[in-house]
Amino acid sequence: MEELFEQLAYCIEYGKINKPSPFPPDMKDKDGADEITQQLLNEGISADDILQKALIVGMEKVGVKFRENKVFVPQVLMSAKAMDAAMAHLKPHFANSPGSQKGTFIIGTVEGDLHDIGKNLVAMMVEGNGYEVIDLGTDVKAEKFIEAAEQYPGAVIGLSALLTTTMNNMEEITKAIKSHNRNIAICIGGAPVNQDFCDKIGADSYNPDPQGVVEFLNKTVE
Amino acid sequence: MVLDGKQPPYVPWDCKFTIEALDKMKAHYGDDVDVEELVDNHFIKLGASSGFKINIGNDRKKDIFGVIWDMTHEKDIGNVEGLVLPEPTLDGYEFPDPNNPMLYDGMEEKIAANKDKFILYSIGFSLFERYWTLRGMENAFLDFMMYPDFVKDLMRKIADFNIAVIKNVCERYPEVDGIYFGDDWGAQKKLMMGKDVWIEFIYPELKRMYANTKAHGKYQLIHSCGDIEEIIPELIEAGVNCINPFQPEVLDVDDLLNTYRGKVAFHGGLSTQKTLPYGTVEDVVAETKHLLEMGKDGGYIFCPSHATEGDTPIENIVAFIDLIKAQKC
Ligand code: B12
Repeated sequence: MEELFEQLAYCIEYGKINKPSPFPPDMKDKDGADEITQQLLNEGISADDILQKALIVGMEKVGVKFRENKVFVPQVLMSAKAMDAAMAHLKPHFANSPGSQKGTFIIGTVEGDLHDIGKNLVAMMVEGNGYEVIDLGTDVKAEKFIEAAEQYPGAVIGLSALLTTTMNNMEEITKAIKSHNRNIAICIGGAPVNQDFCDKIGADSYNPDPQGVVEFLNKTVE
Repeated sequence: MVLDGKQPPYVPWDCKFTIEALDKMKAHYGDDVDVEELVDNHFIKLGASSGFKINIGNDRKKDIFGVIWDMTHEKDIGNVEGLVLPEPTLDGYEFPDPNNPMLYDGMEEKIAANKDKFILYSIGFSLFERYWTLRGMENAFLDFMMYPDFVKDLMRKIADFNIAVIKNVCERYPEVDGIYFGDDWGAQKKLMMGKDVWIEFIYPELKRMYANTKAHGKYQLIHSCGDIEEIIPELIEAGVNCINPFQPEVLDVDDLLNTYRGKVAFHGGLSTQKTLPYGTVEDVVAETKHLLEMGKDGGYIFCPSHATEGDTPIENIVAFIDLIKAQKC
């Protein structure tokens, strides 16, 4: 069993989606995340164990390698795709036992900002680490964040901004959310954003990379 | 002169402004002021920095590659809507015609009116960006891993198209001094796709395009946002003469200028992520003066590290414009 967990974690780390997938070339014709997850379920392993003991383990490795500039956007996206393939098998099981995911994370790029590569990576990494992710997309207004927060009580909100012009909107959105309910935790990020700005606008956490958000969530969400 | 690594009488400049920043400048300098004339850039750019587009109504544009651009939010470039190539195949897709007159529209007049300027033909979205506008951003990154042969094929065809355009421009308009290639590869830290992927898929086609430009005896200037330090040696090797926008938040401007002076010039350097929007007039003056000082020995062309944005206080815009123009007096 341990071996299958390890293999699955390896598939996530290196982005092996399924048997037919040509990537990575050195795993040609080998089982991928898709097949191994199915095999584990067939052997009676719980979805939760698969998530905790294999998927999250693999995803965390990717997060750390990305932070250290050892892998880049293409490799992380491949890992996310492998994760999707595994989750497709697990989701029906989670649907039957709500609460097995660690918590909910709502994310979007702030009003006026269309840069979504970074936001998508954060969403994938957070999802890959066992959270439910509500992706509101790009150019999202304060009201939409608040609406989503109402719908998912206890959720943490992530705001992404890549432009100095939209950092102003990030500030306004943060203030609007906080004045609606100051207990909602807000994480911010994006190229021009930094810790000083986070302190200034009263957000709860700034992180330069997705792994940082995951660590924040693991600490905050019980 | 600067591009040849020689020492100029003063630092040349070429600054651009977004629509919002232009509005602020009009409010300050007066509606009838011609900003081009006021700023008095050393370059004149023909061609198109983000592709050739026609209005198709409903605040949408369509470019010659068939990509639809939603102009409602992002008024300068637009936002890609839908996918021209949803699958990794070129079956049924027809490349645009490099002889389309739209590509050379009004060039004669503009060249005649700007004889004293350094005349550039701009090929925006020249390779990776063209690729992702056709395939979608996420697919583009995944394709490198999943469909390497398709990526190479499409990259090659995009480069072939550009090479045909370069040939037309150089043969028909000998007054053109150089080609300006735009293509964003950098993120705030390192290349978005990583250097290995860049070397395997992007670099071979760049070399072909740049070799063609060189063969026509033209300079080549490139634009890529972000932290592209790790590929500067490769760019020099491929014959690049000048690199823009030289983003100071991610690149060590002083160090790079000193290291590469004589090998490649830099164009940009004034912070649009920090100093311009958030700094005081004194900050802008200090940073601009420092850049102009560094540029005295050559290898440098001044400008903010992106089109100046609408969030920049007008006083900060006026401050750098005054300083660069004062050099001539
Ligand atoms: C690719 C790109 C584009 C693409 C975007 C495509 C897309 N679908 O996203 C296009 C071409 C469309 C584009 C357009 C524009 N862009 Co642009 N773009 C970039 C570029 C080159 C890379 C950004 C990127 O995707 N990086 C890769 C990802 C992985 O990194 P990331 O986004 O930083 O995200 C990471 C972290 O920041 C963090 N993170 C991100 N979000 C979050 C959220 C949370 C909660 C947390 C914790 C962490 C986090 O985690 C991510 C992974 O590590 C940057 C250069 C740069 N220095 O970043 C310019 C840049 C951001 N763009 C810039 C500009 C000016 C523009 C335009 C205004 C251009 C214009 N019109 O003239 C438009 C604006 C469009 C709009 N309204 O949003 C400027 C901004 C300058 C400024 N004043 O702030 C930059 C910095 C370039 C420069 N020369 O200065 N751009």
